[in-house]
Amino acid sequence: MILAAFLVAEFILFSATGRNFLQPDNLTNIVRHSTEIGLLALVMMPVILTGGIDLSVGSLLGLCAVLFGKMVQDAGLSPGAAAAVTLLVGGIAGGFNALLITRLRLPPLIVTLGTFSLFRGLAEAITKGTATYSKFPDSFLALGSATFLGLPTQAWVFVAVAGVIWILVHRTTFGRSWRAIGFSPEGARYAGLPVERRLAFAYVMAGVVAALAAIILTARVTQARADAGTGYELLAITAVVLGGTSIFGGTGSVHGTLLGVAAIAVLTNGLSRIPSIMGVSRELSGVLTGALLIAALAGGVLMKFLSERRARRQTSATPSTPSNA
Amino acid sequence: MTPLLQLVSVTKSFGAVRALKGVSFDLKAGEVHALLGENGAGKSTLIKVITGAHRPDAGTMAIAGNAIENLTPTAAQRLGIACIHQQPTLFPDLTVAENIALRLGTTRSFARVNWPANRARTAELLGRIGAAIEPDAEVRSLSMPGQQLVEIACALGAGARIVIMDEPTASLTQKEQHLLFGVVRDLKARGVGVIYISHRLEEIFALADRVTVLRDGESIGTREVHQPSGSGALAGASPSGASPVDAPSGEAPEGQSDRRGACPTIDLTEAELIRLMVGREVAAIYPPSESDPGDVVLSIHNLGCSAGGVKNVTLDIRAGEIVGLAGLVGAGRTELARVLFGLTPADAGQIRLHGQSITVCSPQEAVAHGIAYVPEDRRRHGIILEMPVAENLTMAIHRRLFPGSWLKLKAERHLALDLIRDLGVKAYGPEAPGGSLSGGNQQKVSVARWLATKPKLLILDEPTQGVDVGAKSEIHRIIRRLAKDGLAVLMISSDLPEVLGMSDRIAVMRGGTVVATLPGGTSAHEVMATALGQSAPEAAA
Repeated sequence: MILAAFLVAEFILFSATGRNFLQPDNLTNIVRHSTEIGLLALVMMPVILTGGIDLSVGSLLGLCAVLFGKMVQDAGLSPGAAAAVTLLVGGIAGGFNALLITRLRLPPLIVTLGTFSLFRGLAEAITKGTATYSKFPDSFLALGSATFLGLPTQAWVFVAVAGVIWILVHRTTFGRSWRAIGFSPEGARYAGLPVERRLAFAYVMAGVVAALAAIILTARVTQARADAGTGYELLAITAVVLGGTSIFGGTGSVHGTLLGVAAIAVLTNGLSRIPSIMGVSRELSGVLTGALLIAALAGGVLMKFLSERRARRQTSATPSTPSNA
Repeated sequence: MTPLLQLVSVTKSFGAVRALKGVSFDLKAGEVHALLGENGAGKSTLIKVITGAHRPDAGTMAIAGNAIENLTPTAAQRLGIACIHQQPTLFPDLTVAENIALRLGTTRSFARVNWPANRARTAELLGRIGAAIEPDAEVRSLSMPGQQLVEIACALGAGARIVIMDEPTASLTQKEQHLLFGVVRDLKARGVGVIYISHRLEEIFALADRVTVLRDGESIGTREVHQPSGSGALAGASPSGASPVDAPSGEAPEGQSDRRGACPTIDLTEAELIRLMVGREVAAIYPPSESDPGDVVLSIHNLGCSAGGVKNVTLDIRAGEIVGLAGLVGAGRTELARVLFGLTPADAGQIRLHGQSITVCSPQEAVAHGIAYVPEDRRRHGIILEMPVAENLTMAIHRRLFPGSWLKLKAERHLALDLIRDLGVKAYGPEAPGGSLSGGNQQKVSVARWLATKPKLLILDEPTQGVDVGAKSEIHRIIRRLAKDGLAVLMISSDLPEVLGMSDRIAVMRGGTVVATLPGGTSAHEVMATALGQSAPEAAA
């Protein structure tokens, strides 16, 4: 709720102060630029819902981007075939995370911190640190620049992924299990839920969608570099947490995550439209995003504290209510 | 003689709910005064008033004749009131000495800590209560009773005159209970007044001088407890054949000496206490067995699991039969259940279900085979506290209820309402979070979740631990009904009267294996002796 109000406030503020903020071109621009982080946030959400975290998605995006570029440019694969292979690689990489987390029972933070370095390192090894791949057919680049039925092409991909994940989280036993695992992994195990399989699914899905984001990013910036997606994992986590998903797992919603993504995307873009601060808008948006995150979390804790205090006044007697009075 | 602690007409309301309606209570020095009542009777509120956590609305409180007003927890501590909680509140990563130093030490910042003195003091305090605990041991490494002993040592160190014990034996083995009882008697001998809360009536008969029963925020009555001279007197009072008389006899070893002679008057019986507590006559403590055991449902042969410390277990359970699994904590009972439920899969032996040889490598496989396990630790394993009752209830039947993984919220709600009604779960609705329910109702949810799977074998691990008397007998009735309907039940319990009262047969475990299977009418004495691995006379000596 607060986040939605904040988003509206952003729109009002930036349309008043920003140059051309409300122009269709700029709105399209916002959508195009936020698709990749939005995709990562969408798959980060179920992972965080299980009480886990995936720090490797940004690095995996970089690795998948250069793999895709190399396959198209050096191996002469068609973009479609290369994309299929890239998605497969993403899934395998996610599966590698999942394997370490579910079989060896290592903490997700440590596992994905490891693969965060590993995937980026592999990407740099492929490019030898210098190569960029930029020979892509126009038909492929349309994914990053064309519109379809009035919306940027990649927005349709985003909507499809968002829809699938919303359904998974809110309308299927997958979401139910993720939440149960987030609240109590042992409790979920004792309830006979397939804890390992459900966890693995979340991490594999994160890998596949990170690969998808890599392809979309490549199409948008028309080149694939080893440093693609640097820092995206943190922005994705920020969007998820800002969107009301508990970092401890168990509670959260996909629509909240979408609002979180929108709030960050609009903030970043809007600041770059205000003439007086244009030069430092990147830095400023970082500062403001951080401040927003902390304010949202602190506000949440404060509200909870207040409502609990109110509830305690009213219901602290409830446990003492005679059960068979 | 001025009582050590005296409360007169204490009332306390929370909003519209009157938790205490004029309760009077007194505690003498050197007395064990038991406080009894169902969950929600007002015990916790009363304790919180005494420890300064709640301020009473009306009524007076005096310590050693001095009126006390505006008591705060800190002031209560200074006045020598200590509370030992069911779950010890120590820092698990610190050592015993560090914990005690934290409780008793100076609160000045940057003060130098004199570790040798702290250690010596810790050793001295632990020695006083006869606890064999190393001051340098990490609290994490201590057993639950060990941690409770550390709490008691803290209370002693703080010079407590009034010690409140809230269900101290809930997680103790028989042997540890004896140790704790010894400590309580020792405190008593030192002139400390002990307020003792427990759901286990036999403990109250073994330990208390007086007992006050609370019901619905009122004090129903205070009775003198004349500690029984033998188990025979109580057996007469208890109508069920398998009478819960083991406690006094189990108590015999060190109880004999400080029993005030053979007191012939038994003016208080278990049945009367229960009547006082629930406000109605409880005809029989345990419902009689009505089952007629059918075919063998589960047959295990030489089952073993080295990781779980279970070996060579051979056992049959028939349809409609309740097999009690007795034994000391650490005998491998829960471990056996974990093997059968696939949490720690077996690495030796055979499991046959209705004659079919099966393997159980995960809880999912166990569920698929129709094996259900209601775990011991309901707050951590039995239910998920943060999730609604309905979601908890359907958690084990996702596949059946939600084909193709699609949630069917209406169907779920209907099923949940049925189960809630069926088992008499008291919750404000299927959407109530599991954690908002009382212990007994949480346990019913945990059982109901598994009944929903329509199991062939139901394993219950300490099904009534920490639930109040009313809920306890309801759970017993539910178990009986399930057995009557042909379910095979394996019931693990450390509550020996419960095992004796409920079981058609009793399997006794020791050292990771089933050492004997005894018929239903076996005496408490024999079960205990088998569990201890002693010949019968030794167990009592």
